[in-house]
Amino acid sequence: MTVYESDLPGVGKKFEVELDGEARLVIVIHNTGKRELFLRESEDADAEKLFGLSDRLARQVGTIMEGAYFQPIRTDSIETVLSDDTLIEWTKVQADSPLVGKTLAETRLRQELGVSVVAIQRGGETIENPGADTEILAEDTLVVLGSSEACRQLDGVVSGDVDG
Amino acid sequence: MAEGTTLLAVGAMFLALVLAGVLARRAGVSVIPLYIVAGIGVGEVATGAAGASGTLAEVATMVPQPDSEFVALGAELGIVFLLFFLGLEFSVERLLASRDRLLSAGALDLAVNFPVGVAIGLVAGWSLVEAFVLGGVVYISSSAVITKSLIDLGWIANAESEPMLGTLVFEDLAIALYLAILSAVVLGGGDLASAAQGVGVAGGFLLVLVAGVVKGEALFARYLAVDSNELFVLRAVAVATLVGGIALELGVSEAVAAFFVGMGFSSTRHLEALERLLAPIRDVFAAVFFFYIGLTTQLELVGAVVGLLAVAVVLTTLSKFASGYLTGRRVYGLDQRRSVRVAAGLVTRGEFSLIIAALVAGASSPVLAETIPAFAVGYVLVMSVLGTLAMQYADRIADVIPGAT
Repeated sequence: MTVYESDLPGVGKKFEVELDGEARLVIVIHNTGKRELFLRESEDADAEKLFGLSDRLARQVGTIMEGAYFQPIRTDSIETVLSDDTLIEWTKVQADSPLVGKTLAETRLRQELGVSVVAIQRGGETIENPGADTEILAEDTLVVLGSSEACRQLDGVVSGDVDG
Repeated sequence: MAEGTTLLAVGAMFLALVLAGVLARRAGVSVIPLYIVAGIGVGEVATGAAGASGTLAEVATMVPQPDSEFVALGAELGIVFLLFFLGLEFSVERLLASRDRLLSAGALDLAVNFPVGVAIGLVAGWSLVEAFVLGGVVYISSSAVITKSLIDLGWIANAESEPMLGTLVFEDLAIALYLAILSAVVLGGGDLASAAQGVGVAGGFLLVLVAGVVKGEALFARYLAVDSNELFVLRAVAVATLVGGIALELGVSEAVAAFFVGMGFSSTRHLEALERLLAPIRDVFAAVFFFYIGLTTQLELVGAVVGLLAVAVVLTTLSKFASGYLTGRRVYGLDQRRSVRVAAGLVTRGEFSLIIAALVAGASSPVLAETIPAFAVGYVLVMSVLGTLAMQYADRIADVIPGAT
């Protein structure tokens, strides 16, 4: 995915997000805080305005879109960037992962990768601040905090692609 | 009217502006021409009823008078804030980042349109300085109206917004330099020795300002670092008006000074807060500026330049259209339809033409003091409406013009 950013002197900034095919989502952020969303079907077409949002509303919608309140897809790992190099990641434990059946202490995730498991989502429930003796089951979703590098290594471990 | 402007008169002025705004909305045109018309209307009531008696004379005393110092000062603040914002939004990095196309677009625009104005002035038998002023009035497009129209029409999200905004960025820098030269030449005045001295003082002051812009970023940033919107706004307004005022005392255009102050603030992290918090202040005083322009307009003077106006409107509409079309087509490689939009979009002239006219209105030559201000009012009234219409019908104009590929 490519995002094009350009200045609009006296107006604000414009972001163009590539969608399927030639279509692009055009987001204009005004200096006043107002956001306007346009859809351009092809390179030659005129951008059609979809809607406008106030600054406050746009932030609210943005948070919803990001998945802060509801994560519909649990098979892929989803991440939220906290700072330049720190992520919160949701990642699903596959049945063939070496982590299955081990307690958090036994996985040594914190010591070896430097990631902290801050919650485990299991079925409909969430285990907050899981203890060292919490056992990891297949199909659990681990909510972890760590550097982007550590999170990438963890993805290999939970999916069973590499040996833990 | 010897006594000062009453609160009632100020209220009447803002009421007239409100009505102008309502009308502009209804008619789907820019507010600028209607603010001017509101000023002209009030001015006619104030002067026309001077000899009358009864209710009309009563009303005439309640509205702002053309010689109202309060309105004049409000208009001056309008100029300061308009140029302050221009400086805020002007960024040297942006100019350099896309310099190839931006400079070609800007140079083309300047080289085509400015000489047309100068030529019209010279043919009319004016002096070189007077023709130079006319060149500026017809050259500069209206950032305010064009940007607003771009947003209203949704063109802002399309490729044509880039050459249009790019041209306006170049014009912004050009107008700052132009006003600096103009104020030195026109406001310097008097005999040669005092003019040279004036230019020296003015040049020195501008140098200090430029040095402040280049070196003073940290200072500007620290000055505005305050945890209160109220104090933040006050600090920004204080420096803009004070520097503008000092400039005027030294014979430098307050508009140029305000531009540099805005530029000084533009590289700080306060840019967004400044734009958000000061925009309403700018809008109020800019409206007063347009009202003042209308209020001080003498209709018979505008009537005397109708012939010149007609010539200038036709020639400069065509020249702006040509330079805009070439900019879109050749410099930015747009298709025919989008190039016509660029051309139509840049036709609108507005606030800066009036600021130039206001600057020279204090000069001693009758052409500068009377003819050009009257011309500028008529010109902006026509061009702002014509430009808005041209944008609305741009796609139909494109259908008529053969698409040279």
